[in-house]
Amino acid sequence: MKRLAIVLATALVAAPAAAQESGSGDGPSFSPVTWERLLNAADEPENWLMYSATLDAQRYSRLDQIHNRNVGELELKWAYQIPQLDRAETVPLVVDGVMFITEAPSNVVAVDAATGRQYWRYDHPLPDDLRICCGRNNRGVAILGETLFMSTLDAHLVAIDARTGNLVWDRETADHQAGYSKTAAPLVVKDQVVTGIAGGEYGIRGFIDSYDAASGEQVWRAWTIPGPDHPDNQTWAGDSWRTGGSASWITGAYDPDLDIVYWGTGNPGPDWNGDVRLGDNLYSDSAMALNGTTGQLEWYFQFTPHDVHDWDAIQVPILADLTMDGEERKVMMWANRNAFFYTIDRETGEFLLGKPYAKQTWAVGLDSNGRPIRVPNTAPTPEGTLVSPPVGGGTNWFSPAFSPRTELFYVQAYDGEDIFYKRDEEYVEGDQFTGGGAQRPLPADNYYSAIRAIDPRTGDVRWEYPIQPRSTAGVTATAGDLVFSGSVDGYFYALDAVSGEELWHMNVGRRVHSAAITYAVDGQQYVTIAAGNVVFTFGLRD
Amino acid sequence: MRMRSLWAIPAAAVLAATVLVTAPAAPRAQETTENPFTTTLDIRMGQRLYQQQCTRCHGQTGDGGELGPALTNGFTSASTDAGLFRIVREGIPNTQMIGISRNATDQSVWMVVSYLNSLNSTPAVDLPGDVAAGRMVFEGKGNCSSCHMVGGEGGRRGPDLTRVGDRRDPDELVSDLRTPDEDLAPRWWTLRVTREDGSVVEGLRMSEDTFTMRIMDENEDLWSFSKSGVRSYERVTSSIMPSVNALLTEDEVEDLVAYLYSLRREET
Ligand code: HEC
Ligand code: HEC
Repeated sequence: MKRLAIVLATALVAAPAAAQESGSGDGPSFSPVTWERLLNAADEPENWLMYSATLDAQRYSRLDQIHNRNVGELELKWAYQIPQLDRAETVPLVVDGVMFITEAPSNVVAVDAATGRQYWRYDHPLPDDLRICCGRNNRGVAILGETLFMSTLDAHLVAIDARTGNLVWDRETADHQAGYSKTAAPLVVKDQVVTGIAGGEYGIRGFIDSYDAASGEQVWRAWTIPGPDHPDNQTWAGDSWRTGGSASWITGAYDPDLDIVYWGTGNPGPDWNGDVRLGDNLYSDSAMALNGTTGQLEWYFQFTPHDVHDWDAIQVPILADLTMDGEERKVMMWANRNAFFYTIDRETGEFLLGKPYAKQTWAVGLDSNGRPIRVPNTAPTPEGTLVSPPVGGGTNWFSPAFSPRTELFYVQAYDGEDIFYKRDEEYVEGDQFTGGGAQRPLPADNYYSAIRAIDPRTGDVRWEYPIQPRSTAGVTATAGDLVFSGSVDGYFYALDAVSGEELWHMNVGRRVHSAAITYAVDGQQYVTIAAGNVVFTFGLRD
Repeated sequence: MRMRSLWAIPAAAVLAATVLVTAPAAPRAQETTENPFTTTLDIRMGQRLYQQQCTRCHGQTGDGGELGPALTNGFTSASTDAGLFRIVREGIPNTQMIGISRNATDQSVWMVVSYLNSLNSTPAVDLPGDVAAGRMVFEGKGNCSSCHMVGGEGGRRGPDLTRVGDRRDPDELVSDLRTPDEDLAPRWWTLRVTREDGSVVEGLRMSEDTFTMRIMDENEDLWSFSKSGVRSYERVTSSIMPSVNALLTEDEVEDLVAYLYSLRREET
């Protein structure tokens, strides 16, 4: 049995150079993850080495042992129970048979990826005066060499030894008492750790940081709101830029050939009252392209100028090279919370195309530069204004995926609406600063989510699979022509990547608020998803 | 206006609580105090704070959101104002419920508590109808018991009305009786399922998701279906409850409302 498994492994694994025979006890698990390995992460699909699988953030795995004809045979292999009552948003990493799972509030545990049994755990001490808008979440770690990097709710970045869980260094990146916090997985770029910040509901001034992986010293900081010495600061009335939010709370992508880091920014603050911050509010709700060595801004693309609906551009950017109109283009694909899908030239920031992929009532369309042409009277008012998409957006932070086999972009979309309210609000440091709110007019059962497959060359939706009620799980694509995702009421399921047909589903009992990963140990492919407070791992029947 | 009279702690209870303060566990001062901020203005201030800090999870009007439960159906984690105070101040450990901002004063916390109570209480008012007569209509001519339980007796096809007076005010009760289709909650939609053999089963929509649905038919039998295993299904978004307009006189409706409004928690 075991022998057979190992034979399979050689067939399965594309680049056996880095492959380890782990979990079986035949050899040691875990070996250091060099930058070279991260650059070529797609070539070792038995491992899941970063939040979005690869630097281009396609969230696609070349593993194909589980495919669209046998996925119905998936069965539970093991479960890991997180000892916290929060919903898990973790996307684990797997390195040569060892899995790293983050837990609420800011802890990490290393388990054997074949059995789910623990090696070690790291519990991060937290102060009792955290300021967090939306729950005690952590979405995952990054790795370089033998060190894990994790964001914490008190706005620290910590480095943890991957073999023991010992703390290597601990750096405060911002003052948590002023409303800063950190929830997203960092992104390793060469010898640096790039990381964003949360706090867009607390009147912070956002930034994207890079730290030296070895020492924890800051290498650069890119403000997501430029200071008064920069002309773009004029896009904020008066002093509003100081409390303008524009957080950066999800993981970006990196192009090693261009040496550019791509990162999304969140809503301008206060969220729903734009009167106090007239202007476009740069670089809120934008994609920022930063030099990977210096953090210099190469270009930006603002999806929603002067946003008053909390439509963060906090999505994972997906990079791919596509032939468009007979021309090879380096593109960045983006399904935005504002319900439009964009394909953008990632060398220059040039807008190539954009189309709605979910219900929207706020824009007539996009102009030739990709700037929205707004429908009048869609801003929040004290009495309330009904607008689609709702505050949660056409999609949100949960990851999309792209399959180079189908050349389709997959996203969890939502056709909803909200009544948006505006209020006057004074800024008080450390308090929420939102200037309004939103309310769904009808019970959730009246609305649908859908997994939509978008053709990035046209922006057209190729197929959709409706999900009810609204769901908040990410999407993962594999070479087995599968698309995995989950639902808010506790399903984990697989669709056919080509047709959108449903192939398998499992009731995992509680909200899936994360995205699946896939990996292999000893030649067996696994699929892992966090649901409720449990991490479930599935594989084919032995 | 005193909300939720249940919580008016009698003198003896206050004494007992005061004794508790000297116990080694030393609960905080506020556990022994009554809410001093319960005026209409206090409630409005509390609502303002609520809107700033709580709507993200609990919804604009407290009826729940993706991140937090509804706060309009009573509370499971607190049974007194002091208990609510503590939850609002400190949150609920090991959950997403994080509590009010650190800068908030005790006074503002009490105001939020008053606002939360206002979401869960109906004013005590004198109604023209006759409670005893209303009960007769309920169990007799109105045929209400065939669908509704009161105190563990009655039918199962409508909501339990044992404490309906705590959650619905008289005006709302009148519209419940006269226009049952209005704002019908999805729980009370009907699902009409056509099975592969062409036969139809229909019933109240107890729950439905992407792949499955569960209903209660008119015999109060429970059914579960997989969507892929049936030929088709359809949602009916009107209520099975008949309007009283064609059935009862003005006086009978008045009596019914008085009876229904008297159905509330025992007052101590
Ligand atoms: C980040 C989301 C979040 C925020 C913000 C939040 N809550 Fe909660 N709240 C929750 C969750 C989740 C629960 C349920 C906790 C549990 O599992 O017991 C809860 C529970 C409660 C309960 C107990 C309900 C019961 O049935 O006993 C009360 C009362 C409450 N919240 C009030 C508030 C108030 C007042 C605020 C604002 C000051 C607030 N919450 C802010 C998420 C939140
Ligand atoms: C055929 C079953 C049926 C009969 C008969 C019926 N009801 Fe109902 N009733 C329901 C259902 C189902 C609902 C919930 C949906 C709705 O609001 O229409 C409901 C809702 C209500 C409500 C609102 C309860 C709440 O919690 O909001 C009240 C009050 C009520 N009924 C009273 C009555 C009275 C009084 C009668 C007799 C005159 C009656 N019902 C007869 C099925 C019935």
